[in-house]
Amino acid sequence: MGKQLGFVQLPQTALSVPTVSMPKVVPMTLLKIRAFFAEQRYIGILLPLFILCLWQASATFKWIEPVFLPAPIKVIEAFWYMLTQQDLLLDIWASVFIIAQAFAYGTLLGVGLGFAAGLSRKAEMFFSGTINTLRHIPTVAWIPLVVIWLGLGAPAKIVVLAKSIFIPVFLNTLQAIRGVDHNYIELAQALKLNKRQLVRRVVLPAILPVVMVTLRYSVGLSWALVVVAEGISGLEGLGFLIFRAQNLLMTDQLLVCMVLIGVIGFLLDRLLLAVQNHLLRWQRGFGGRYA
Amino acid sequence: MLEVRGVTRRFGDFTALRDASLDVGAGEFVTIVGASGCGKTTLLRLIAGLDKDYTGSITLNGERIVGTSLERGIVFQEPRLLPWLVLWDNIAIALDNTLLSAETKKEAVAAQIALVGLTGFENAYPAALSGGMAQRAAIARALVGHPSILLLDEPLGALDAITRMRLQEELLRIWRHERVSMILVTHDVEEAVFLSQKIVVMDTGPGRVTAAIPVDLPYPRDRASAEFGALKHRVFTALNDNAALKKAEIDYLI
Repeated sequence: MGKQLGFVQLPQTALSVPTVSMPKVVPMTLLKIRAFFAEQRYIGILLPLFILCLWQASATFKWIEPVFLPAPIKVIEAFWYMLTQQDLLLDIWASVFIIAQAFAYGTLLGVGLGFAAGLSRKAEMFFSGTINTLRHIPTVAWIPLVVIWLGLGAPAKIVVLAKSIFIPVFLNTLQAIRGVDHNYIELAQALKLNKRQLVRRVVLPAILPVVMVTLRYSVGLSWALVVVAEGISGLEGLGFLIFRAQNLLMTDQLLVCMVLIGVIGFLLDRLLLAVQNHLLRWQRGFGGRYA
Repeated sequence: MLEVRGVTRRFGDFTALRDASLDVGAGEFVTIVGASGCGKTTLLRLIAGLDKDYTGSITLNGERIVGTSLERGIVFQEPRLLPWLVLWDNIAIALDNTLLSAETKKEAVAAQIALVGLTGFENAYPAALSGGMAQRAAIARALVGHPSILLLDEPLGALDAITRMRLQEELLRIWRHERVSMILVTHDVEEAVFLSQKIVVMDTGPGRVTAAIPVDLPYPRDRASAEFGALKHRVFTALNDNAALKKAEIDYLI
């Protein structure tokens, strides 16, 4: 309509001469692919796809020696071999089992003691010195001693990792409780809530956003530490496999382990994110729809 | 019913409230007006029992006030709903520590939600409510335990003019329906004249009560009537007298 008017009013100027646009010929498949990626939720596949292409190209054009970087298909073959001929699933389970247990113990202890210290200054004074000293001893430095005590099996790693989850969960729970809006505490007072109700209905939900972020962060960190712990001492698990592969120069198996560690870490985080989104469904913050 | 006698509250060297006295009868609607810093919120918090550090006496039905009680409902300046609870739970939480049966509680909450006109929003989270709706919910929460007095600390201050007028009428309706005593703190003189049976005027430096003006206009009140205007004028005069006196003091000092 606008174009028409322009044409009528200014018939002689070159600018207003309507151009007949030829319909562009685009193959159906390309259109489909474009439509597929136009959807926001699939946009995340693009980058991994690009990396995979680059990887394949480096193998095809022999940019890198196969012993340093085998072709993707070789890695998939190695994955299949490990899955069917070796005990890959058992190794994955060994690692996941460790992180699951460490997560459970570390979180329980962290939230529990964090609450004790958060609700009582006395408890805080009692714990904080000790915990703030222990926290400066890196997790890796604990491994040798705990292995001497508990051996090469899962218990030693669970203890060490539970500690690495416990520390941030404890500190953040404590700080989050101290940061609960005083107005809510006053409200609880006006509503005559008792201590148990105050904790359950006010303090716990108020600190949940902070606690959930801490859990996700520390699980990511601990998952990385599982690999280190298994590499330093252990006879099974993804960390063990990855260091064995390095010693035997089995780069394909090494890459299988690396990809698996990344993917499992991603899934662990997604699992916790789903839990977080459910627990924090009342929150309405910045939805990230700016651009 | 509520008697405040010679109440003084100091914060260190600063006297927030000096020798304040106030009476609120059963079912009476009293407003407190005054400039910022005149101690009106301080006084309300003392009556609520949120602040216990004062000299003088505050009694409700002859009993000295110690701490908070469900007998005295409070509505804060902001709705202060718990964002993680849906509307229903935000109101029901006020009955958590009562001995009522689950059935009675349920009825009381439903009745209160209906009274403030929020039926249908029971499962909404506070983030989804407008400012006016949230403040109605806060009023319902304060009323659900059937207190004998409701304390309102500038509850309409943050609302726009139209919502505010509508909620003033709602407040009157609720007050008549519940037959509860009310103390409303405000700095809006028109609001005070429109709503209350008695207007207590306070002043700063130190915070104190300077006048108590009875309002005997019949309800519902016409904001445009001459009597309404005359009363507004009287309250303004009382407030201005305070200001004028202060100015005279300063002139004298110079």
